[in-house]
Amino acid sequence: MKILHLLLLFCCTFAAAQSSRQTEGIRTNTPAVHALKNLTIIPAPGKRIENGTIIIRDGVIRAVGANVAVPSDAREWDCTGLTAYAGMIDLASDYGQPKPKNPGSTPEPPRGPAYWNPNVLSDLSVAAQFMPDKEASEKLRAAGFTTVLSVPQQGIIKGQSVLVNLGAEDANSQILRSDLFQHITLASLGFGQGYPDSHMGAIALIRQSLIDAGWYADAQRIYAKNPAQERPEENRALAALGAAAAGKQLVVFETNDEQKAFRAGAIAKEFSLQWALRGSGYEYRRVDAVKALNVPVILPVNFPDAPSVASPEDALNVGYEELRHWDFASENPARLRKAGVTVALTAAMLKDAGKFRSMVGTAIDGGLSQNDALAAVTTVPAQLAGMEKQLGTLEPGKIANIVLMDGGLFSEKSSVRETWVEGVRYEVKSVPAADLRGSWKLSVTGPSSDTARLEIAGEADAPTVQMKKGEKSVKASSVSYFMGHLSFSVEGDSLGWKGMLRLSGTMTGGTMAGLIDLPGGVSGRWSATLTAAHKEKSDSSRHISIAASFPLVYPDGAFGRTELPKQQDLFVKNATIWTSASAGVLEGADMIVSKGKIVKVGKGLSAPSGALVIDAQGKHVTAGLIDAHSHTAISEGVNEAGQAVTAEVRIGDVVNADDINIYRQLAGGLTTINQLHGSANAMGGQNQVSKLRWGMLPEQMKFEGAIPGIKFALGENPKQSNWGERFTTRYPQTRMGVEQIIRDGFTAAREYEKAMAAARSTPTLVPPRRDLELETLVEILNKKRLIHSHCYRQDEILMLMKVSDDFGFQIGTLQHILEGYKVADEMAKRGIGASAFSDWWAYKYEVVDAIPYAGKLMHDAGVLVSYNSDSNEMARRMNLEAAKAVKYGGMSETDALNFVTINPAKQLRIDSRVGSLEAGKDADFVIWSGHPLSTYSICEQTWIEGRRFFDRAEDAAMRQDLQVKKAELIQKAATSKKKGAGPAAPSRRSFFYSCHEEEHDHAAEQEMMQ
Amino acid sequence: MNRILRTMIVILCTAVLLPASTPVPAKKQERPIVLIGGTIHTVSGAVIPNGMLLFENGRITAVGTSVTVPANAERIDVTGKHVYPGLINAASNIGLNEIEAVRATIDITETGRINPNVRTDVAVNPESELIPTTRANGILVSHVLPGGPLIAGRTSAMLMDGWTNDEMTLRSPVGLYVSWPNMRVSRSPFARQSEEEQRKAIENSLKELRDAFNDARAYLKAKKADKEHRTDLRWEAMAPLFDRTIPMIVSANEVSQIQSAVQFANEQNVRLIIHGGRDSWKVASLLKENGVGVIVEPVHDLPNRRWEEYDLPFTVPARLHEAGVLFAVSGGGNSTMNDRNMAYQAATASAYGLPKEEALRSITINAAKLLGIDAQVGSLETGKDATLIVTNGDPLEIMTNVEKAYIQGRPVELRSRHTDLWKKYEEKYRQLGIVK
Repeated sequence: MKILHLLLLFCCTFAAAQSSRQTEGIRTNTPAVHALKNLTIIPAPGKRIENGTIIIRDGVIRAVGANVAVPSDAREWDCTGLTAYAGMIDLASDYGQPKPKNPGSTPEPPRGPAYWNPNVLSDLSVAAQFMPDKEASEKLRAAGFTTVLSVPQQGIIKGQSVLVNLGAEDANSQILRSDLFQHITLASLGFGQGYPDSHMGAIALIRQSLIDAGWYADAQRIYAKNPAQERPEENRALAALGAAAAGKQLVVFETNDEQKAFRAGAIAKEFSLQWALRGSGYEYRRVDAVKALNVPVILPVNFPDAPSVASPEDALNVGYEELRHWDFASENPARLRKAGVTVALTAAMLKDAGKFRSMVGTAIDGGLSQNDALAAVTTVPAQLAGMEKQLGTLEPGKIANIVLMDGGLFSEKSSVRETWVEGVRYEVKSVPAADLRGSWKLSVTGPSSDTARLEIAGEADAPTVQMKKGEKSVKASSVSYFMGHLSFSVEGDSLGWKGMLRLSGTMTGGTMAGLIDLPGGVSGRWSATLTAAHKEKSDSSRHISIAASFPLVYPDGAFGRTELPKQQDLFVKNATIWTSASAGVLEGADMIVSKGKIVKVGKGLSAPSGALVIDAQGKHVTAGLIDAHSHTAISEGVNEAGQAVTAEVRIGDVVNADDINIYRQLAGGLTTINQLHGSANAMGGQNQVSKLRWGMLPEQMKFEGAIPGIKFALGENPKQSNWGERFTTRYPQTRMGVEQIIRDGFTAAREYEKAMAAARSTPTLVPPRRDLELETLVEILNKKRLIHSHCYRQDEILMLMKVSDDFGFQIGTLQHILEGYKVADEMAKRGIGASAFSDWWAYKYEVVDAIPYAGKLMHDAGVLVSYNSDSNEMARRMNLEAAKAVKYGGMSETDALNFVTINPAKQLRIDSRVGSLEAGKDADFVIWSGHPLSTYSICEQTWIEGRRFFDRAEDAAMRQDLQVKKAELIQKAATSKKKGAGPAAPSRRSFFYSCHEEEHDHAAEQEMMQ
Repeated sequence: MNRILRTMIVILCTAVLLPASTPVPAKKQERPIVLIGGTIHTVSGAVIPNGMLLFENGRITAVGTSVTVPANAERIDVTGKHVYPGLINAASNIGLNEIEAVRATIDITETGRINPNVRTDVAVNPESELIPTTRANGILVSHVLPGGPLIAGRTSAMLMDGWTNDEMTLRSPVGLYVSWPNMRVSRSPFARQSEEEQRKAIENSLKELRDAFNDARAYLKAKKADKEHRTDLRWEAMAPLFDRTIPMIVSANEVSQIQSAVQFANEQNVRLIIHGGRDSWKVASLLKENGVGVIVEPVHDLPNRRWEEYDLPFTVPARLHEAGVLFAVSGGGNSTMNDRNMAYQAATASAYGLPKEEALRSITINAAKLLGIDAQVGSLETGKDATLIVTNGDPLEIMTNVEKAYIQGRPVELRSRHTDLWKKYEEKYRQLGIVK
């Protein structure tokens, strides 16, 4: 079906110039045969023909070469001084589309059998809405484009693009390929616009839609054969998404930072999609990983302006990352090409497409070869669009899309003179009848004869004139050069005439002649002969290398490293070792580490050969600290707040390896975090347990094999109590409703599981749709996924425990659990861990009974207790949170430390690897300057698996290095003459979230703060 | 075992049976009290091991190794314990802020932008549940600030015990609190206003402030000339600012804000204290030259800028100390519930470079000096109020506990809603046989 569809399209493209339109009035039969002569021709990247000719017939190139016979019926065009290139192709344009009503916001729900979520617009066909836009096409042609892919502009799964030529005629004649690609964006949306309102929610929606598209095809097929059953719905969006979901239509994923490229890659891999990346300009930060995606990349050239560093205050506030990005940006295309990535360039993200050639020139300055640059705007996009037989080069048989330049395509000095679209000539900038520039000898005849000199300079089509006599020189005013006619006025007094002289004339055969008006109503004639011709300044000086000043670091920016810390074999000696295990605290003890694992902990050990010896005399060593409630390192939205149940969203999809808080928390001895979804909904998103492996890729941060979990939330947050007066309608609004939402979800999950099993055994049945939300809940019911539930009051704590009894699932931890001390016996009975705040209270009504003695009370009642941070800041001093267990209630120091080491490890079921210092465990440990529970102690080193991820001495060197480099970049920025494409988009790398705040309302503002 | 401790234990035990009762303010000191045998950290002078501290009628009358004790004095043995002046929180909203998410319980911000006439001591709720929990960690004086967009109101130094807010008031007004306008022009495409509009907004805010000061001066001049001139409560309230009796306390973090505030204070010839002061170390010499002190808050915070050193907020006090600027470490990190952790912020400042003694001074005598209450509190000296704590260790260590506290010689209860609930639920698990 689809193949037939494609074939039809293919035929159509050949027929594009032939029209079904009925003639109105007189038929047009102007010949369409052209010979462009005396050209320099760049037929393809790396090829060059001097003094060549191009023959065009009926919109198609028929011949190209130096010795081409001009057909007798051809119109001949003298193109002396011009260079012909294949017309540029932009694969990420919005040309010819109706303007969206509310750009950037959630689209209006479409009419007809659409997808339930208005962000899935896969059936939107830009071709169906396409209308050539005279003004826009003129601008694009003037920028050197002849063909663009017009890409849909709204939603998340945005719909299908159309490849069009930029001629002025009707849509029918300009469309080359309808419904070429499916477009999906991962670039962030606004918050608070319904589901999804987070980056991870968008990914979940994409995933579910792709599954639904597959289901829809199956369901239709099965139903057609076996109609005597419940009929599946009609859904045009899913029908249209089918080809992409089945890998038969290329999907372009749009991104706005490099990490999103990996997220796109993960989706593409999961569904075996055929895809390309619409890049962000930040790919240089992770070239190898982008290369490993093994897809073509369509790159923007929106290299930013130099950051403003005019005053010391400006310089203080300019981001180091911003400076570095400015310094690296123009090298992005070159770096990807050097790695072997297929690169196309796009003017998307430039405010003015007219800057495109100049920005490509900047990319060439940044190391991109001329050939690669040309390929990136011609042959590569042609190939990507499957149009390499018709577009991309100047060869016989191809569509006659040609750009005529008066110099190099990417040269700052040159301009586009003509653009030919499918054999139709569009004049962009008229070539002046003659270049008048040079030195002229002027003679005036008439009532008074005189001589003078004229210096004509400036642009050939916009000259400037100086009149000189002896030593005197006067600049002419009102200079006009139009249709070969030059006119200007000169203040004559200093040259010996009285008053204003007005001259006009034309050039013929090397001399100029015309009329002169002298003061007093006297007219005369003048003539001039050329004494010295104008010399064009060479613009080769522009292409100077502007290499980035410093090597990349990982992640790029502050406190990144050029290389990852090496895994080392270690001998830590003479330390006070807090094992968080049965051995307790060992004084004057040693620890042996090999291949990332602890080999032995004890007294009087001897150093293995080759091990790095760390003398920890006077120091204390503990296991790496673990935070069972973190929102660190999560990109663009900790909450998917669009629905009350969002079990399908995954924090694991949006791990942000660049969050500077990773490094800051390492500096506080933290090594493992439980990255949780926020508390905006009763059944929230899936968690991710990660290690703080700073510098690695997001995937590499994930804690291998950690049992998956999910965030639930009870009380004021899911019932939207503190969200503001607007939020009073989403279910639930009471604790009663919270209970019912949870029971309803699990009941549905049980029934879903049964229905799926039944469908599997009966292939004639239309299968139930695979539902990622219910599937996740089934995993909980089958004890494959742990619940981590945000909760406060004892009644809701009891409620969840009763629901778990009824449905037979396991609660991993109760989070915050401020009133857990009131029902500790019930928790202990069920083996549920308490992941608590040490001493937070009074911030909202449901925490009025929170007490700092809760940890001790629950511990004594037999509950496994940990202290968590829920804060990027507090996560830097979890050892001090543990100290509060000693203060409030008198826990022993070792038991207190366990609150942030082995206890959270047990709660997350990762205690076989981390949480204590014992043989066989991961070498995740911290060296403290003193007693780990003392407020006066600081973290000196933090190791994960034998790699030193934080070292205070190294940190001191890094900050010094940063100061020097930042100062140098500020100097560079202050003296830069290089113009960019506009201010840089702000870094969207780190976000502050905490689920004790009303994060929903604050999310957008917090984003602004970054 | 002394009488007070016995009384406290009785009260604690009673609490188990009477969970609804709240701590009761103590009577005025009637008998002299002498603390014997503890290590006395006077702050103003040397540490006195095995010392004696005598106080009568709410005032310290003698400190030393050997003190003449009046016959009727109550002698309290604090051997092995430590005696410190009561800690002072130089920036708090305590008493104005009960439950952050419940609007009805908050009295921090009056409407409008020019509110010099409002005064915080008027609205401090003596029954706030946060007061006993804060007091239990040794904070006996809190400087209560109003909030608001420009001239927020006048501040008050409050004792953390008393039957009424009047009784709790140690000094009011302490200063005029001004939230300095944001001086930074954002070039982010996300900025809601253009650069032009932002500059205009900054200009307008500064003009509004300057107008208020000039109007107040004009009013005071007119009022002096003509006693019948109709009264303007706002400008009346600013009089002590102009004779330099009270300072202008400016909330400001960024370099450009601090510079602007210093310039303005000089122009207006008023005393200045900076509150917040994240970037204050960058302009420390400017502050030093102009005699401007800083109330640093918070220390436990993230750097403002991604590229800044991870410990920058921890090191601001040390940097100010090195530059010779008078400063206090204050607050709990922008949340009243965390006021009780104030001393640990000072400790972190010490872990990251501030000498230990200076960390202690920053939450005692230096805070008192900044607030102009150092004649009464901040150190253990003869003539000062007997506002002090007895601890089992360094109060800057979390693991330390405060065992006794006196405010102007009155023993104050260290019990709170938290200890009450603790005891109540210990009893629950005792009844269930889970704990003994």
